[in-house]
Amino acid sequence: MNFKNQTKFHIHGLNQEKLLSDLCKTVSLNEIERKEKNETTFECSYFEYKKVEKFLKNRNVKIVSIKHSGLAYNLKKILTSYGLILAVLLFSVFYFVQNQFILQYEINGVDRLSEVEVVDFVKENFSRQKNKISIDEIEFGLVDEFEEISFVSCMIKGQTLVINIKEKLWPDEMYGEFAPIISQKDGKITGINLISGTAKVKVGDLVQKGDVLIEPYTIDASGELKNVEAKGEIFAEVYNEGSCDHYQTYIQVDRTGRVVEQNDISLFGLLIYSFKEDMNFQMYEVEYEDLDLTNNLFLPFKMRKTIYYELEEKIISSEFEDVKEEYIAKAKENALENCDNYDTIIDEFYTLRHLSGVTIVNYCIITSEQIGGIE
Amino acid sequence: MFNFLGEIKDNIKNSKNFDLDSFNIINVSGRLLYVEGHLGLVSLSKELISFKVKKGVIMVEGSDMILAELSENTIKICGSINKVEQI
Repeated sequence: MNFKNQTKFHIHGLNQEKLLSDLCKTVSLNEIERKEKNETTFECSYFEYKKVEKFLKNRNVKIVSIKHSGLAYNLKKILTSYGLILAVLLFSVFYFVQNQFILQYEINGVDRLSEVEVVDFVKENFSRQKNKISIDEIEFGLVDEFEEISFVSCMIKGQTLVINIKEKLWPDEMYGEFAPIISQKDGKITGINLISGTAKVKVGDLVQKGDVLIEPYTIDASGELKNVEAKGEIFAEVYNEGSCDHYQTYIQVDRTGRVVEQNDISLFGLLIYSFKEDMNFQMYEVEYEDLDLTNNLFLPFKMRKTIYYELEEKIISSEFEDVKEEYIAKAKENALENCDNYDTIIDEFYTLRHLSGVTIVNYCIITSEQIGGIE
Repeated sequence: MFNFLGEIKDNIKNSKNFDLDSFNIINVSGRLLYVEGHLGLVSLSKELISFKVKKGVIMVEGSDMILAELSENTIKICGSINKVEQI
């Protein structure tokens, strides 16, 4: 083995004398031999071959071959080659070791069961090492632990444990919500369509909002109570009321149009300037408006504008008979606001109550609608 | 340090009248030519190697010649050297 660290270049190009003369100013050259008219070989130090290569490339000289020799080159070659081999070996060992373990769990077919519960159970009770896992044990363990499971099969796919679950088919009563059907409005029952459960009302009964209409159970012939889902439709006449009060004399407060303004300028919450006009209002109401005087955060001046509006009282008098229709319409409007989801309007009427200086208009709209059960 | 070429130059009478600093050439047994103070290659072949010096061109004729070393100031030619001529 040649221990001298040399690199031999074989180049092809024109005017090589000029090229070599320029090159030797930066790098010392050895064993320069003219092979043919346009071909030359020369050697340089291995540690400077990159400099030479760059120089030749800059001059657009064709490099036919580059051959390295010497101790440093061979050492580097061995190190880089063995480094690669070492990396492959390390990777193989790592891959082999981690390939022995289950890294992922895939659960299929669960609906009522929680995937997390199943995974937690498997993680806690069975090993992650593939060669220590018994598929049969996992399957039996899952069936014993979760009564919702009807059938289960497991398989190891790569580093994933795939668990396919088929859940038991139970009647709805087993996992339904056993809540009673409650009346949503006041009314008089007109019809009952019971599907399951026990009806607690009958046609003609008067019910209030919140009363139980259908209980979520049945009692069989032997007197045993059995939970079922309460299902059915309850129809009723619903009395939707609205009222409106008329006062023969009342005080109305209005703004006169006179305004006084007050401006307060503050910085970081401290009042630094305030201006207020003279005000001699007997009655007034106030409105506030906050403004940012600057857009920066260094000096965030803020201004609060306070506006005082002068008020005056007026005594308004009117006879009910003059505005009767208007008040009845208002009461009807209020009653209609309560009529949502009704099927038909059966009847409507109004009543008047005259008190001292006050007349109360009550308007009632009777509707037929479903007050509980399936919509 | 002893400088062989410097000693030779100093031993010449009136050496200052001559221009002795442009280049040095040493021919060793007609097989090796050592040159100091070249200014660049002019031609390169196995039979003829020529290079510029301060006041002209040196032509080296021979056979199977190679440039054993080429640096910024020095040249070392190996091979069978028949003639060294300055033009």
